[in-house]
Amino acid sequence: MREDLAPALRAALPVMLGYVTIGVPCGVMAAEVGLGPLVAFLLSATFYSGAGQFMMASLALAGTPVLSMVASVALVSTRQILYSAALSPYLARAPRPLAALFAATVTDESFGVNLARFAGDGTWTPERATLVNLCSMFSWALANALGAAVGPALAIPTAVMSFAMTSIFVCLLVTQSWSLVTAVVVAASAASVVLLKALGLGSLSVLLGALAGVAAGLVAGGVRREGEPRERA
Amino acid sequence: MSERDFLVFYVCVLAAILACRCVPLLALKGRELSPRVSEALGLIPPAAFAALVANDLFDPAAGLSWTALLAAALVVVVARRTGSLIWCALVGMAGYALLTLVP
Repeated sequence: MREDLAPALRAALPVMLGYVTIGVPCGVMAAEVGLGPLVAFLLSATFYSGAGQFMMASLALAGTPVLSMVASVALVSTRQILYSAALSPYLARAPRPLAALFAATVTDESFGVNLARFAGDGTWTPERATLVNLCSMFSWALANALGAAVGPALAIPTAVMSFAMTSIFVCLLVTQSWSLVTAVVVAASAASVVLLKALGLGSLSVLLGALAGVAAGLVAGGVRREGEPRERA
Repeated sequence: MSERDFLVFYVCVLAAILACRCVPLLALKGRELSPRVSEALGLIPPAAFAALVANDLFDPAAGLSWTALLAAALVVVVARRTGSLIWCALVGMAGYALLTLVP
């Protein structure tokens, strides 16, 4: 466990810093809804969803009915289905409780960080990956508690802070292994999200856009294989 | 929001989040996957990150933000040169903040 902590912290550090910058304003919004630092900490440690928590606060402030709030925040989390499926081969031999803890603490950012290491670092283990998730989770929950403690007295340019997360997504995208099929996936996925958001699908756009990207990639991969010369028997 | 409403909201959303996060991984864990399924799983990362970037950069009410697009282009350069998440986050925030000052 101890020998896993240092490499896990090194991998988690960029995510933890990003979570502190965006977690504090998220906690400030939680305070505006009436949540104290302890509740903000517990909510952040269990939901562990930036998009969901920002959405929760803004919907509550707008007086949205509870069932609509549940549906909206749950829909934001549907993209986790894809991450969970994509990570499953790397947890094949992990004990079930560890796999469940790992799965319950995956986020957009830790998904990218862990997947890159699982694919490229032979020493990366489910234990280290889970520590990355937990370290990131504590930084997120603590930043939220801090924001809730300070409250609306803190004037934070949320758009600037949240661009830290956008930048992390851009970096994770750019550092993917690129091929023609990857380019098709990215173009289809991004175009679908823009189209779906323009059509008003809101929370579902990311999941459906990503699925459209995967479908386009499968078609492009199939077309590419069809065009390749076949080996003679 | 009343305490009761908050509790209903919390329990329902937590159940949905945990189901989305845990069920696919635990259901597929250790199973022999067909080549087609493995290929699809391998395409998820670029598809998801492209979707998240597009989601952040496009607001249907305001359209595409040139400030965000230029800052993102700057991050692409930093990502290609360094591959560092920290540098990308710092340069992205600084670039976005500076570009918002441009009239």
